[in-house]
Amino acid sequence: MNWLPTSIRWRIQVWHGLLLLVVLAGFGLTALELQKIEMQRRVDGQLGIVLSYLHDGLEMGRPGGAGRPPERREDAVMDFLLGVPLDDNRRPLHERPGGKGKGKAGAPPQDFKLPDQHVAKFSGPNGFYYATWNRDGGSFGRSANTPADVARPAVDSPGALAVTWESRGVNREAFLFTPPGECLLVGRSMSADMQAIARMAWWYTGIGGIVLALGLAGGWWLASRAIRPVEKISAAATRIAQGHLSERIDVKNTDDELGSLAAVLNDTFAKLDASFAQQARFTADAAHELRTPLTVVLTQAQLALARERGAAEYRETIESCQRAAKRMQGLVESLLELSKLDATTKPDLRPCDLATISRDNIDLIRPLADEHRIQLKSNLQPTPCSADQKRIAQVLTNLLSNAVKYSRAGDEITISTHRENGSALITVADTGPGIGSAHLPHLFDRFYRADDSRNRATGGAGLGLAICKSIAEAHGGTITVESELERGTKFTLRIPAGNQSSQC
Amino acid sequence: MRLLVVEDEPDLLAALSKALREEGYAVDEAEDGEEALFKAEATDYDGIVLDVMLPRMNGMEMLKRLRKTKKTPVLMLTARGALDERVRGLDLGADDYLPKPFDLAEVFARLRSIIRRSAGEARNVIQLGPVKVSMRLKVVSLNGEPVTLTAREYSLVEFLALRHGSVVSRTQLYEHLFDENEDSLSNLLDVHVSNVRKKLGHDFIVTRRGHGYSIEA
Repeated sequence: MNWLPTSIRWRIQVWHGLLLLVVLAGFGLTALELQKIEMQRRVDGQLGIVLSYLHDGLEMGRPGGAGRPPERREDAVMDFLLGVPLDDNRRPLHERPGGKGKGKAGAPPQDFKLPDQHVAKFSGPNGFYYATWNRDGGSFGRSANTPADVARPAVDSPGALAVTWESRGVNREAFLFTPPGECLLVGRSMSADMQAIARMAWWYTGIGGIVLALGLAGGWWLASRAIRPVEKISAAATRIAQGHLSERIDVKNTDDELGSLAAVLNDTFAKLDASFAQQARFTADAAHELRTPLTVVLTQAQLALARERGAAEYRETIESCQRAAKRMQGLVESLLELSKLDATTKPDLRPCDLATISRDNIDLIRPLADEHRIQLKSNLQPTPCSADQKRIAQVLTNLLSNAVKYSRAGDEITISTHRENGSALITVADTGPGIGSAHLPHLFDRFYRADDSRNRATGGAGLGLAICKSIAEAHGGTITVESELERGTKFTLRIPAGNQSSQC
Repeated sequence: MRLLVVEDEPDLLAALSKALREEGYAVDEAEDGEEALFKAEATDYDGIVLDVMLPRMNGMEMLKRLRKTKKTPVLMLTARGALDERVRGLDLGADDYLPKPFDLAEVFARLRSIIRRSAGEARNVIQLGPVKVSMRLKVVSLNGEPVTLTAREYSLVEFLALRHGSVVSRTQLYEHLFDENEDSLSNLLDVHVSNVRKKLGHDFIVTRRGHGYSIEA
């Protein structure tokens, strides 16, 4: 369908026009056909009457049939049908008084002649003609306007007095055979009627054309109206595509199909906008996080290069640069981790026991805890579940190192695992300084830090807990925090236990 | 000239302070907003280099509070280049801002500029009779000939030159030429003044007994 215009409006218009054209043409052609049939039926009826009249004439001329003049009424019908000119008394002009009843009976059938009175009637202007043949096939009379090629119909078993109709070119003819075998034929040219039909056809075409034009105009209007919301949607979508992400489709009527489409699109745009904004903020935050260590490197290097320095000074500079580079490295790793978590939809779930994972992690963190004189306690119940072991370990490492980092000497950290209502839980609770309630709702946000400072003393870029949250959510679980200042903080990781039985 | 550098990243703070000291400034340090505000209110600094992200009290808040009492020129350092933050900083009373990461050369130039303008001097070069003080190059010349001064001597000349025509007290000079860590022996200043007089002419710095020193216009 490449030749069709791509615009929906044009396509609707083309199909609508084609449909209208087919309907109109069908209607017109049917009407014309019906008219033609009706006309033929009318002509056939006329021919029948004329034929019976001719037959009457034949009967009159037949021996014994004479003297029965046609009834006056029948005669008048014939005058009308054949278009016989009438005089002032509405009598046919050829029927002069005294001229009537000339046809004398008794002649042998071979010599049969139609009564003059009948013959005379066929000179009328309505185009009727007749031809007659005796039982031997010889013609015994035909009207002057009978076409020369009219011959005695060849019929194998002529039914007596059965009228047969036939078309010959533009002429319509009817004939019958008398029981003795004479053949009577009357005919009429249909050319005038055909012309009338042709005229009618032109009329139909003209009217059809006007209706088509009106229909197309109406269709165009309707299509334009129907398309307008689509154009609006398209315009809004274009503006959004150009970067105006806050743009929305102006929805007035939300009940119709296009209205609900626009509402759905608006919803989608809003979500896209939000995720773009989030992405942009994330990128800005990441750039910002990189800026501080970058500034350290740049400043230290420029300072060191400003003049000749001693070895100790160079050493200091390099150490400081290394610290900054390590910070950047940590940040870049965290960012990669997050983007990996964002990209993969399903974690690699395998049956495992949270208690085992916890035990391994506690062993890993113990040297650090001992160094800070922080006591590690555990309450590990077997907690089988389906989880990505590496990821869960990552969450634990994060929570434990945070707990160690923020706790003071002499504080306690307790790790426990258990099952609860089909969920597998790990909790990491410390008796550290706690987190202010204002910070709690944002704690898992990317780059969020309880303290505005981002210096080396507390380290990190505020991505650790965001990574934990991403991992928990990838497992279809949650991570929550409860904290009270000077009393301690408790993180709870809760993931669905899956179909692992609690027995194993 | 005495500056306060406020920055919570220790490596950056150390590097900045050292670089500024090598430029001839007396430099005090602060690692958080509260300490910075305390120092800035207690001392008349010639300029403050202020990071926005600070623990305890952020740079914006510190600046807002400082501006209630002092007009000290402030150069803000910001890791966020966002326009609204720059606008907010300038509106709160920062004299200039510099996004991280920055070049040390630009920090020096912007500091010189805000200090000069706060002293009411738009030009980089001050001509005082036969003596010309070129602040960009930190060079002083006498009758077109460059004169070699120590960093401290130059600072003394620059400080007085920026306030030429008015009397500068000894306390003021002590405050602006020595940082918090220096044990400012009272005759140290006299030594510097005497050295400058030897190099630039005895009448270049006039002693106002009981008041201080001045350079005549």
